[in-house]
Amino acid sequence: MAKDLDKKLAVGQGLDRYASAVGLIGALLSTLGFILAFVLAAPVNGASVDGVEMIGGQMVSNQLLFSQKIFYFHMPAAVTSMVALAFTAWFGIRFLTTRDARYDLRAKLATEIALLFIIMTMFSGEMWERFEWGVWWTWEPRLTTYFILMLLVFAYFILRTAVDEPERRATYASVFGIITFIDVPICFMITRLIPSSVHPVVFRTDSGLSPDMLVPLLLSMFGMFCIAFALYRLRLRTETMAQEVDAIKREIDE
Amino acid sequence: MNKPSTFQQYVTLLRKDLQREFRTKDMLSSMGIYALLVLVVYGAALSQTARQFDVLQMSGGLLWALIVFTSLLGLNRSFSHEKENGCLEGIMLVPLDRSVVFLAKATSNLLFLLVVEVVVLPLFYFFFLTTTQPASTWPMLLLPLLVGTIGIAGIGTLLSTITVNTRGKDVLLAVLFIPLVYPLLYACVSATTVVVAGGDIEGVYLNALLLAAGYDVIMVLLSWVLYDFVVSA
Amino acid sequence: MAEQCDKDLAKVSDADAIVLDNVSKVFGDRHAVDGLSLALPQGAFLSIFGPNGAGKTTLLRMLATLSRPTEGTISVLGIDLKEHPDEVREHIGLISHNSMLYADLSAEQNLMLTARLYGIADPRERVDQMLDAVELSHRRLDVVRTFSRGMTQRLSIARAMLHDPEVVFLDEPYSGLDPHAVEIFDQLIDQVRQNRTFVMVSHDLSKGFAACTHALVMARGRKVAFEGKDNIDFEAFASLYRDTVGMGVA
Repeated sequence: MAKDLDKKLAVGQGLDRYASAVGLIGALLSTLGFILAFVLAAPVNGASVDGVEMIGGQMVSNQLLFSQKIFYFHMPAAVTSMVALAFTAWFGIRFLTTRDARYDLRAKLATEIALLFIIMTMFSGEMWERFEWGVWWTWEPRLTTYFILMLLVFAYFILRTAVDEPERRATYASVFGIITFIDVPICFMITRLIPSSVHPVVFRTDSGLSPDMLVPLLLSMFGMFCIAFALYRLRLRTETMAQEVDAIKREIDE
Repeated sequence: MNKPSTFQQYVTLLRKDLQREFRTKDMLSSMGIYALLVLVVYGAALSQTARQFDVLQMSGGLLWALIVFTSLLGLNRSFSHEKENGCLEGIMLVPLDRSVVFLAKATSNLLFLLVVEVVVLPLFYFFFLTTTQPASTWPMLLLPLLVGTIGIAGIGTLLSTITVNTRGKDVLLAVLFIPLVYPLLYACVSATTVVVAGGDIEGVYLNALLLAAGYDVIMVLLSWVLYDFVVSA
Repeated sequence: MAEQCDKDLAKVSDADAIVLDNVSKVFGDRHAVDGLSLALPQGAFLSIFGPNGAGKTTLLRMLATLSRPTEGTISVLGIDLKEHPDEVREHIGLISHNSMLYADLSAEQNLMLTARLYGIADPRERVDQMLDAVELSHRRLDVVRTFSRGMTQRLSIARAMLHDPEVVFLDEPYSGLDPHAVEIFDQLIDQVRQNRTFVMVSHDLSKGFAACTHALVMARGRKVAFEGKDNIDFEAFASLYRDTVGMGVA
C-alpha cells in the first residue's frame, strides 16, 4: 500500500522525462493557434456582438472586432486556470485522506499554476475590456466571479504563510482549496445563470463558433494545457529536489 | 457512564456559549457598538448626496455591508476564548462527534448575529429611510436576512476555526471570508434591494433567494464535512 | 454501559495499560516520533524525558487521541486507539499547563459542562464531590478568571478527573506554578494516584524522577532508554540525560 503510493508519487521518471518536450509542443500549438486566429478565423463575426449593441457610446451591429483576437488567448487561459484549481481541490482531498505531505506539495503547485493562468486571463481580459467596452472595470457577473476566484487564490497563499506547523498548514490549505473550488463552477455557469452577460456561452451544442474559429481556439487551449502540465512537473521536480537538499542539510547538522 | 446523545452534547455546548455571553456580553456589545459606528460612518459618507438621491436603491447594499463587517468582528471573537486556556483541546478529549462542535458553534454565532440584526435593522431605518417610503413589500427582506446570516454563520465558523490558529488572524479571516461569501452577498443584496425599493419581485427575489439558499446548503454541508479535519489539526 | 465498562476493565486488569508497537508520527521527511515500541503495566507512573523537539509532546498528544499516529499501533487498556478513539477517550484524562477552563464561566459551570459532555450519571453530585476534593467549594460560583494560578490548576485537576479516568496524562503540569502550588499539586496527584496509570512529560528532571516508576528517555523521536525505576540510579540517569540533551541540542 505504502509502496504503491511511493511508486505513484515518484518524481523523475516517465512523466518528467517528457515534461520539457510537452511544454515545447504546448508552446508551438498555442502559438499556432494564435496565428490561425489571425489568418484563418474570420475577423467579422465577433463573438461579443450579437445583433445591435451599444459599444463605446455608438450603436454597433457589425463592427470588425480586431481585438476579438484576444479571445483565442483569453478563454483558453481561463479554462486552464480552472482545470488547475480542480487539481488543487483533488490533491486537497487526497491529502486529507492519506495525510501524505507529497499531496500537499502537489496542491500548492497546482494552485501556483492556477495563479499564473489567472493573471494571464485577467491581463488579456483587461485589454479587451478597455478596447471593446471602453471602460477599465465593470462589475459584470463573469468578470466579478473570476476576480473573486483570483482573490481566493491569493487568500490560499496568504493562509499558507500564516501557519507555521507543516501538518496544520497542509490541512488548512487543503480544506480551503476544496472550498475555493466551489467558486469555479459558479464562475463557469454564471453566463448561463445570468444570460445578459457580455461573455458568450461558448460550450453548447449550437455553439455560435464556426469551425474556422473553433480550430484555433481548441489548438491554443490544448497547447495551454500542455504548458501548464509541463510547468507543473518541472516545478514539482525542483521542489522535491529542494526538499531532499533540506533533508540532507538537516542530517549533516545532526 | 451512560454516553449522552449527540443532541444532548450539542445542547450542552450551545448552553456553554450562551452562559458565557450572558455573563460577559462581549460578542453582543462589541458587535452592536461596531454596527452603530458603521451607521455613523454611512451618515458621513452619504451626507453630501443630493436631496433627490434615492437611498432606497442603495439600502440593500448598505445593510449587507454593515452585516458582513459586523459579523467579521463577531466571528473573530467566537473562537478566541476557546483558544485562551486550550478549552477547545479539552472538548476534543471528550468522546463526541466533531461535527457537534461545529453545529453548536455555528448555532451560537447565528443567534448572536440575529440578535444584533434585530437591533440594527430599526436603527438603519431610523437613520436613513424615514425620509423615504420603502415599498410595501419590505417585510419580505426578513427571509434573505435569515438565509444570508445562516450562510455567514456556517462558513464563518469553519474559517474562524482555521484563523484562530494563525498569525495575524484578524486580517486573515477577512481575506478568506469576504471572497468566499461574495456569491451569497450578491444574491442577498439583490433580494433585499428589490423588496425595499420595489421592482420585479417574482423574478429577481425568488431567483436570488434560491441562489442564496443553494449556496447555504452547499457551504454548510461542506463546512460540516470538513470540520473534523480543521478542528483536529 | 457501566457493566460493560467493568467487564472491559476486568478483561485487561492484568494486561499492560499502554502498549506501543512501532509507533511513528511522520510528516514529509520529518519524523517527530520514529518507531517507538514499549509496554507500560497498569498502575505505573511513566515519566518521559528528553530535549526540546525529542517528540515527547507529540507522543503524549498521540496517546491522548489528539493526534493520529502515522504508522504503528497504540492500545490503551487493550483498546486500539486508531480504530476506537472515542472508546479510549472515555478512559483517559489530560492535565496540562493549559487549564482547559473557560475563564468567564464559574468553577461550577466549568465542571458541569464537562460532566454533561461526558454523560456522567448524576453530574451535580459528582461536581460537588470533586469541588470538595480540591477544596474549592467556597469559590464554586466565582468566575475562573478571578482564581490564582494554583487554584486554577487545582480546578483543572478536578476537571480532568471528573469522569474517573483510568489513565491520566500530565503535560508539563508544573510550568507556571509557584513552589507552594507545586506542593499542593503533588499532594493532589498522590490522592488521585490510587491504581491509575500516569504518563508525564516534564522538564523538571528531579520532580519527574521522584514521582515515576518507569522512565523513558527520548531523543530525535527515538527511544534512548526505557527502564523501571528500580533498575536505575539517579546519578547515572542524570548523566545519561545530560548526554542525550547535549546531543539533541547540537
